[in-house]
Amino acid sequence: MNKEIYKNPIFKSNPVTVLVLGICSSLAVTVKLEPACVMALSVIAVTGFSSFIISILRNTIPNRIRIIVQLVVVAMLVILVDQILKAFSYEVSKQLSVFVGLIITNCIVMGRIEAFALGNKPIPSLIDGLANGAGYGLVLVVLAFFRELIGSGTLFGHQIIPLSWYVKNGGFYENNGLFILPPMALILAGLLIWAQRSIQKDLIEK
Amino acid sequence: MQDLLNIFVKSIFIDNMVFAYFLGMCSFLAVSKSVKTATGLGIAVIFVLGVTLPINYLLNTYVLSPGSLSWLGPEYADIDLSFLSLIIFIAVIAAMVQLVEMIVEKFAPALYASLGIFLPLIAVNCAILGGSLFMQERGYSSVGEATVFGLGSGIGWFIAIVALAAIREKLAYSNVPAPLKGLGITFIITGLMGIAFMSFMGIQL
Amino acid sequence: MDTNKNSYTIIYSTVMVVVVAALLAFVSMTLKDRQQRNIDNETQKTILSSVNLVPDIETAADKSAYVQDQYNKYITPLVFNTKGEKVEGEAFKVNLSEQTKLIKAAEALEGEARAKALENVKLPLFQCKMDDGSIVNIIPVYGAGLWGPIWGYIALQSDNETIYGATFAHKGETPGLGAEIATTHFSKQFEGKKIYEDGVFTSVIIAKGGAKPDTVNEVDAISGGTITSRALETAIRSWVSLYSSFLGQNK
Repeated sequence: MNKEIYKNPIFKSNPVTVLVLGICSSLAVTVKLEPACVMALSVIAVTGFSSFIISILRNTIPNRIRIIVQLVVVAMLVILVDQILKAFSYEVSKQLSVFVGLIITNCIVMGRIEAFALGNKPIPSLIDGLANGAGYGLVLVVLAFFRELIGSGTLFGHQIIPLSWYVKNGGFYENNGLFILPPMALILAGLLIWAQRSIQKDLIEK
Repeated sequence: MQDLLNIFVKSIFIDNMVFAYFLGMCSFLAVSKSVKTATGLGIAVIFVLGVTLPINYLLNTYVLSPGSLSWLGPEYADIDLSFLSLIIFIAVIAAMVQLVEMIVEKFAPALYASLGIFLPLIAVNCAILGGSLFMQERGYSSVGEATVFGLGSGIGWFIAIVALAAIREKLAYSNVPAPLKGLGITFIITGLMGIAFMSFMGIQL
Repeated sequence: MDTNKNSYTIIYSTVMVVVVAALLAFVSMTLKDRQQRNIDNETQKTILSSVNLVPDIETAADKSAYVQDQYNKYITPLVFNTKGEKVEGEAFKVNLSEQTKLIKAAEALEGEARAKALENVKLPLFQCKMDDGSIVNIIPVYGAGLWGPIWGYIALQSDNETIYGATFAHKGETPGLGAEIATTHFSKQFEGKKIYEDGVFTSVIIAKGGAKPDTVNEVDAISGGTITSRALETAIRSWVSLYSSFLGQNK
């Protein structure tokens, strides 16, 4: 099978940093690593399965209601994810609040369905969806890693920066509160794009 | 009255859809290259948010939330349809966008010519669905509050996109490092604007 | 097959809607109990933390089982009316937001009508039997903050006038300002404060500019969180005052 299907979306044509798809809701959940990971998994599941289902149905969908059928399938999957999170991971689902629901309007889901799943067989579509979800999740997790480490001194809630370093314990260190605030997510994303495009020069915009 | 003003100011400046929640970023980045198109999309967003929020509020209060069907009779009081809210909200938004498009086309062709192409884009704009979801999450107590919240959020989005477009127009003359050009610098500018908007946080009415 | 025929489109969408609705309804029903348990667990935890009875929550292997055990061990939920009489009902299921609406409506009335309207308000009370045998009454408070609801629990020592402990929570207060009410730093101040002075209900004053040192019922307001502080003070006053006859009775 063609390896590019799952290799490209993660690095070379990453949906967030290259195609500008689906950054909308994602950045608000990157304050902590744990919700970011759960969000990443949710998106991977939704992109993968929605592409899969649409690809199975692709020859039966009446053209006139194509977008609506896609929306219904995506919405159904998102509701499933939301219900499962509420039942099995309540703490995290509270932190994600409305952002799980916003996966529906995440352009990356509809984007992959339109661009790939409608014209390809189910299995490649599934892989394409999963890989694009993973590329998206990777950006989330990288951002969350830096924001939690620098902003709260923790990772997954575990203290990483030694407590004795902190000013209040007689040390020299203070958490950078700016990283917890929303604007820093955007600036970090900008820096991430900078880093990526410095390596892959062909992506540079004129 | 004071409550309404509170919600209005808060949704424009403090809980700004773009700067605080990153909602509607896709179209935000795509159309923020010129002030003119940005204005068109901004107005369309205000309009659709202002129309869909009250409708979704009524649906949420009288159909979807737990126990809300009790007006049909006591035996319906236990029904909880809240798991359907996502699907209903998105359907209402899609239908409203379609309706607005048709009405505008019929009665204001000039407006349609300038606004029309943006309307279909809006159905999948996260800011619109986000507005409905925040409304449900925060439990506004009346249609008035929900409408004001919708209009406020729309205006906040409008301000953000027009301001960014203006900055990007000027940015054409600056010497930005090549890998940062386009998307990268736009992200960073949005972040800096977000920091500027945070100075509104202390506002209390 | 012609997928563009009207009849095909209609049948297709009908089948799709039915399948999706059935699937979602099924999942929702299956997971409902579990979700409700999570929400209940959260409330139980908040109640228990107002009396500091969840000390091991961070280290417990099964957090929800731990909270459930502690709750069953210590807490007896009861429901009262404003006359201090026990009424039927499950304290846990009382919707505080609805009761607050009733209270607000009643407060707009005067004299007889007001007392009458207040009689319908259900007052949940969580009685906590401490390890040393003393009874601590935990009273819920609920109100509208600056941006959304704020709520909490106030625990009273067995003299029914000294605060044993308190916890507060909020939905969307400004981070760093109003949101500070949810911190232990803020709620710790309530410990040992008195809500009655010489038998007169004084409630707790959340004083802007800091509590005066010689008072027994003042705590420091949150700097920059004036509206939230004031809202919390109002919520405490209007809720706790309704328990007056109950608290007097049990003295």
